[in-house]
Amino acid sequence: MPGSSTSISKIQAGGGRITLSSHGGKAWISEFSATYPLKLLSPRLSDNTVAIVYVLTYGGGLVGGDCIELTVNVESDTKLLLLSQGSTKVFKDRPQQRLASVQRSDYASRSTPGQAPATLQIMNFTVSSQAALFLLPDPVTCFRSASYSQIQTFRASKDATLVILDWITSGRKSLGEDWVLSRYYSVNEVLIAGKRVAKDVMLLENNEFNSDSRLNRSLAEKLSPFACYATVILRGPLVEETIAQLTTRYGGISIMQRKAPEDLLWSLSSIGSDKENGVVVRVAGKETEMVKDWLKNTLRSLEQHIGVDVYRRAFV
Amino acid sequence: MDDETFLLLLLSDSNLPTGSFVASSGFESYIKHGFGGDQNNRTIMFMRDSINAYARSALAFVSDTHRIVQDVHRDVEQGSEQKSDFDKYLQKIKEVDDLYDAMTLNDVTKRASKSQGVALLTLYSKGLTPPLAFTGVKNRKEIEIEVNSYMASLVAQYKSLVRAESAPGHLPICWGILTGALGLTLGESHLRSQYLHIFLHARSLLSASVRLNEIDLRTGIPSSTGTESDQPDGVDDKSRGPANTWPLGEILAARHDLQHSRIFNS
Repeated sequence: MPGSSTSISKIQAGGGRITLSSHGGKAWISEFSATYPLKLLSPRLSDNTVAIVYVLTYGGGLVGGDCIELTVNVESDTKLLLLSQGSTKVFKDRPQQRLASVQRSDYASRSTPGQAPATLQIMNFTVSSQAALFLLPDPVTCFRSASYSQIQTFRASKDATLVILDWITSGRKSLGEDWVLSRYYSVNEVLIAGKRVAKDVMLLENNEFNSDSRLNRSLAEKLSPFACYATVILRGPLVEETIAQLTTRYGGISIMQRKAPEDLLWSLSSIGSDKENGVVVRVAGKETEMVKDWLKNTLRSLEQHIGVDVYRRAFV
Repeated sequence: MDDETFLLLLLSDSNLPTGSFVASSGFESYIKHGFGGDQNNRTIMFMRDSINAYARSALAFVSDTHRIVQDVHRDVEQGSEQKSDFDKYLQKIKEVDDLYDAMTLNDVTKRASKSQGVALLTLYSKGLTPPLAFTGVKNRKEIEIEVNSYMASLVAQYKSLVRAESAPGHLPICWGILTGALGLTLGESHLRSQYLHIFLHARSLLSASVRLNEIDLRTGIPSSTGTESDQPDGVDDKSRGPANTWPLGEILAARHDLQHSRIFNS
């Protein structure tokens, strides 16, 4: 008997659905579909309380006009780890539409004539009671002049666990790209038991048309010297220990006057005023590798909940 | 001098007790962490990035709140049915306030925002409303008296919600309440409210800079901070929406409390 009561929904180009259900103490994927250019992969695991899904795009990147819309349901008592394979690369545009494509969604057809359409990725997550979602993708890299929007909404039960990682790097170092994207817009909205507790909106824009440098410094100037910025939202029973560790570490930091910035900086803030709403961690590093290592070490206590082998697949 | 001008002068007074004196908006942390290069440029660089970021994250909330309170004005003046429904207005303001709280995921910023917010509401109640017993001015219209007393109640009630921790009472929202309650109606009043808010923010940054010995008033502030033209043209377009545009500033502001020694609160 399928956990989800919805009939198979019509999927548009770039659409996808994942539902992880529980049956007899085991987690199984009851709904799993994706259309081009979205691709989903789920390896079989020895631990059957956890499932992994890799979210990929054909061609290894997204181009202007692509619209990915993924709906994910993590039902009670299951744990889902969502990963990617390599950084999500966003290219500026492509002269023609992707040829192999089912009906394009309304969004993609609506692009302004004469203007390279932006890339859009929408993800809607529902995480039920005693369930856990670990969203640990590789960072997004927007190449020169790319325009990318990402809207992620998380609806969780009071006793659900969420680990949400959203990070971006400065571009292709080999081509000297240092924050030369056109626009990056990312929203992470968290609702617990129907009430919005967090809405993190990040907008990075290089205003090429505004030549008045007094008003707006370039992104490279504003974000220097860091090449990678990450945001992690943590809440729920399975990350209580991680949050406690972070709080202790943070409280132990003492900054004296410095001549120059450190290689990596991080901050910790609570979400809302209620302890059970979790924390937000922000990290900035001069190199993506540094941030990756920091994240990998900081989230290591997740191993006790998803296993060492499964955790190893994150932050590869 | 007309009331409106007097009001603007009053609100732009550097002695306005808003509690911004103890807030450096992350500037002290910025310097302590080694950012900004040499002292000559630090203030300007920080101000540009900080003001742009603050404007983008907060101004829409100022104008939204200002407009809600302006609606109250209109309802009371027109004697409409709506006016007796306090709770509805309070609820609308609280929604804007809660959204700002959900979008400002930074303990230090929230702390500073809440303390300055409640200071503004207190300022209104204690300093900017006519005393109840004051029936003096002969040609003050009755409707004006009614509006003023209504506003006073609205602000007092919202302040109670804040004290009871039912509403956060953040600075941009309280500023919108203040300017809306005072009836700033000249032209595009919500834009004027935004402009003044950013002006005060900028000035507070300059003040912090002086106290951190970053700029020496005897030799003068660099001739162009570029901040006069930093006025964004009314950031209230919902589709462009409030956002954090300076993640580095966010991290440094949140790390304020990690400084071994500090003179500012935030």
